[in-house]
Amino acid sequence: MQTPQFQGTHLFDRLCWAKENLDGVQSDYRVVYEDSVDECAKILVPDPNWMACALQGGILPPVWVYHELAKDEAQPDFKKHTRGYLLHQTEPVEAMTEEQAIEYLILKDCPQNVVETWDTGNKTKMVICRKEQLPQTREWRNAWRISDELNLAA
Amino acid sequence: MALGKIKADTLEHSTAGSVDTQYVVNGSAKSWVNFNGSGTVAIRDSYNVSSLADSDVGIYTLSWSNSFANDDYSSAGASGQNSNAMVTVSCAIDTTAPTTSASLYNTNYENGSGGRFDSNQVTIQVLGDLA
Repeated sequence: MQTPQFQGTHLFDRLCWAKENLDGVQSDYRVVYEDSVDECAKILVPDPNWMACALQGGILPPVWVYHELAKDEAQPDFKKHTRGYLLHQTEPVEAMTEEQAIEYLILKDCPQNVVETWDTGNKTKMVICRKEQLPQTREWRNAWRISDELNLAA
Repeated sequence: MALGKIKADTLEHSTAGSVDTQYVVNGSAKSWVNFNGSGTVAIRDSYNVSSLADSDVGIYTLSWSNSFANDDYSSAGASGQNSNAMVTVSCAIDTTAPTTSASLYNTNYENGSGGRFDSNQVTIQVLGDLA
């Protein structure tokens, strides 16, 4: 199915179109990350309808738009977004592969301190895996950690 | 879905009266989700959600595709489990403040202990102004 020309269409309306026309895509990928030494590992789960939008193309804004909005929100005098038009007016991104979609999602939804330092320091702070590689039960969920023995190929 | 637009400030019924369309715009949920918060956490269905972070026992963070205009939006939730456990959904605004792009939710036992709990049926709706 061809995505309509959506540039300038409110993102919420684009999501409406996607909900009505695209089947959700359950990804097997998960992103495991640690953003605090005092907390257990967190698992990022892609939304199936969002993933359908990413694979379809022409719906989602570029990820830098979210970063611009985050900069605005970080200002001490922030009350409300005044540049929301970036979500709606910026040309949508083309169709992504599932792997590219996961990279986009990491840049969008993982904490920036993790994204920027995941492979620095003594321990890996982020790993992309398949859901089958996660513990099969939630026993000791509050103690889950990324393994220190994880071997990162160069 | 047709991409045409009907622009109107009021909808009027022949006998039942009228309603301003701003009620519909402002009063509709801007995001909703139904997910399994136990086992391998997964989203069953949703609208305007980009991801769900499984952060700990009974702690989840929702991120939105279309950010909210401010962090003054309103969330409501319901949760359950295939047992006699009653589970509530709460927003942990005291420890992790909501942002315009994401919010953290807890699911807790609705009994004396009140401890956090992984529920297999969690539903959340969010109302507010979109960016």
